[in-house]
Amino acid sequence: MLALIRPDSWNLPLFLHIFGAITVFGATATLAIAGFAARRTEEHQQLLARTIARTWVLGVLPAWLLMRIAAEWIAGKEFPDGVETPGWVGVGYIVSEGSGALLLVAGILVWFSVRRGRVMLAVPILATICVLGYAVAWFAMSGKP
Amino acid sequence: MDLFQWLLALHVTGAFLLMGGGVIAAILNLAALARERPSEIVLLFGLIRVAVASILVGSLLALVFGLWLVHEAGYGYGDGWVVAALVLFVLGNAMGGAGGRRDERTAAYARELAASGDAPSAELRAHVHDPISLALSYGSGLILIVILALMTWKPGA
Repeated sequence: MLALIRPDSWNLPLFLHIFGAITVFGATATLAIAGFAARRTEEHQQLLARTIARTWVLGVLPAWLLMRIAAEWIAGKEFPDGVETPGWVGVGYIVSEGSGALLLVAGILVWFSVRRGRVMLAVPILATICVLGYAVAWFAMSGKP
Repeated sequence: MDLFQWLLALHVTGAFLLMGGGVIAAILNLAALARERPSEIVLLFGLIRVAVASILVGSLLALVFGLWLVHEAGYGYGDGWVVAALVLFVLGNAMGGAGGRRDERTAAYARELAASGDAPSAELRAHVHDPISLALSYGSGLILIVILALMTWKPGA
């Protein structure tokens, strides 16, 4: 019932956190969709590799940063120094930092994919793991079990 | 988890699938805007179908569990922010659907061209860059962002 009693000053960071999270989910899912599509076509490897690279640079990276910075902003308001954070916040940190590491590796592989003109299979696999992690995070952070 | 927590989690799941699907569609559409060969446009528009499936499932989850949440949380169906969100939801879906149908016709035309030589075509380019289709699709995306803001601030609640 937190949403019913949330102070107004929490709304902007919460909005930016959710907007960033939704955008990073969509952009990361695009890496997976385009990456797996590249396994089925020889003709358009270069197109899909470039699409994935642009998505990583212009979508995944800024959206992940927005999600993460806004998360710190609202966590600072909701759980100031000395206040113990509940488990669902921990889930958010684990998923955001874990996905950040996986997306960094994926970004390096995307760069190699563009140079080789062929999407490496690890890119959509890493993206899919991140998408599944995001689903766990949004369920935990909204349901707050 | 109690009923409220389950409803909120499922409502948020719907919102992520709906808006995330919109992000996927926008990225692939932007990629198609930069292409000339019909087969490339067929490929990118074809991948948007995954986004459409996500949008449809997400719309259903967000609407059903959102309406249930209004009751469970003690809000009124006549509250201004709830009415505004529902009106915008219907408008956004109508606009997105209309834009999607125009894109389907563009994809069908691109498939014809791809099967008959795959040469770039000024007419196909005009279809892909059709300002009405773009306004409908991106307009529906902007409406979703406004709905997210309404859900966060709940003005008047």
